[in-house]
Amino acid sequence: MTAREVLDLIQKTSGVPISERSYRDTFKIGGPDSTVTGIATTFMCTFDMMKRAHAAGLNMVIPHEDTFWTDRDDVKDLTDNALYKLKTEWAKQNNMIVWRDHDHLHSMKPDFTVVASLRSVGIKGGENAAMAPRIFTIPETTLGEFAAQVKRLTGSRAFRCVGDPKARVSKILLGPGYATPRMTAEADVVIGGEQQEADGGFDNVEYVMDAASLGMAKGVIMLGHAISEQPGMEDYANWLRTFIHDIPIQFVPVVEPFW
Amino acid sequence: MPSASSELSRRSFALLTAAAPIALRAAELLTADAVVRRLQTELGGEWSAAGPDGFKAGDPTTVVHGIATTAMATLDVLKQAVKAKANLVLTYEPTFYGRADGRTPAPGGRGPAGLAPDDPVAKAKRDFIEKNGLVVFRLRDHWQSRKQNDMVTGLAAALGWSHRVNPDDALYEIPPATAEATVALIRSKLNLRAGVRAVGDRKATVRRVLLHPGSMTPAPMWQRYSTVDLIVAGEVREWENTFYAADIFTAGEKRALVTLGRVASEEPGMRACAGWLKTVFPNLPATWIGAGDPYWRPTA
Repeated sequence: MTAREVLDLIQKTSGVPISERSYRDTFKIGGPDSTVTGIATTFMCTFDMMKRAHAAGLNMVIPHEDTFWTDRDDVKDLTDNALYKLKTEWAKQNNMIVWRDHDHLHSMKPDFTVVASLRSVGIKGGENAAMAPRIFTIPETTLGEFAAQVKRLTGSRAFRCVGDPKARVSKILLGPGYATPRMTAEADVVIGGEQQEADGGFDNVEYVMDAASLGMAKGVIMLGHAISEQPGMEDYANWLRTFIHDIPIQFVPVVEPFW
Repeated sequence: MPSASSELSRRSFALLTAAAPIALRAAELLTADAVVRRLQTELGGEWSAAGPDGFKAGDPTTVVHGIATTAMATLDVLKQAVKAKANLVLTYEPTFYGRADGRTPAPGGRGPAGLAPDDPVAKAKRDFIEKNGLVVFRLRDHWQSRKQNDMVTGLAAALGWSHRVNPDDALYEIPPATAEATVALIRSKLNLRAGVRAVGDRKATVRRVLLHPGSMTPAPMWQRYSTVDLIVAGEVREWENTFYAADIFTAGEKRALVTLGRVASEEPGMRACAGWLKTVFPNLPATWIGAGDPYWRPTA
């Protein structure tokens, strides 16, 4: 099976075209004519993850995020970089193929990353969720108790929460990855992967600190980008298995890097 | 505006003609606008009107009794400023929740970037500022353009590090310790909570540390990481520098990256700013007020 055949099946089954204009959804290593021995889905094509995929006999990696440490995977300033050389040479020696599915995946309805992120934090009813965030209502609890539950369920070590732990909350707004939603009048808690802390489009952190100072029940939870989007790539692997039967398909997770 | 400054000069003139010590005290009667103009002279350079710096709230003709500096003018910081009798607040980061910093969004722009005109949090903050006669000025670009780069030296001083390898650079040599122990020292010196997150080899021996307060982009990471033992940054993007450090760890290099939180990393530089202000305005009290580490993590 070639990588091109894999992409054709993904496109056909999802019913969503893989846009040729997307700079994200492209081959980062290898190409459409490379032969696929097995597929590993993951959050990001890290060096460690790629080695584990290879050890499992899977030579095609489908990450949701980048491979060379920028969104555009622009390598023009990396040609003399020792880590870049090591990673690409190792990948070539081992006939690895990397094709990113980001924009295409986020155009799917439902969107695996949103559905799985909602499920991973214990929110029910998000089976058909797509990228545009909407409020989910949970039984009223405190921000502290909710945060403890989310941390336990997701296993996030680098978990960060802002707001008064005693605030009573029930309206949750979630957007995975860098798509952390802005706090709204209706929402009590915003959950995201990561966000620029200040001086951005909308600074949730300062807003929630001020709301807490005014006694308003508001909180923000940052799960970490990998923790928030990776569960969707396990769903993606399960989905691939429904229409690709001839080669092994596995979810090979990136390990949360923080300590 | 003209009435206030002519009022001031009339009074100054009257006092200057009296005894000298009183004239010195009269010189303290500076408006917020006059303080900023003096800062402009001291810091030098052309002040771009298009940049982020400028008055964000309050009346610039207000006579300044005391200055408070902070990395981020949260409502709690403003409350403390009032208690400290400081009525001019110089903040490094925005006051009104984003780069637009309270400016009216573009017509029809109630999009993700805009703040609703009737937003209750922003309104309460503006009311607090008005009621307490505060003036808030954002001082970012011009403060960090100082040759000494006090954002770096301030952070180093707060961490107890003084051996700067090269005066033009942010590289420090510190007494050797493991990355883990160095991160624990940083956490305790800056009184941080869940904002601290580290990646890489926790057992690496750290001697050479590169300081990068604020946001760190990939270019300096790629250029410098493999030449130092530890980078201390404010914030990075996870898919950029965090996983660059993770990949370097997989490649077997013994070094680490720690992020403190953008605001937390900028606090020592604004503390240094308060110290510098005392040299510019010897008769005006200047205090640093920290916004604190915003983040906590459940223990359970």
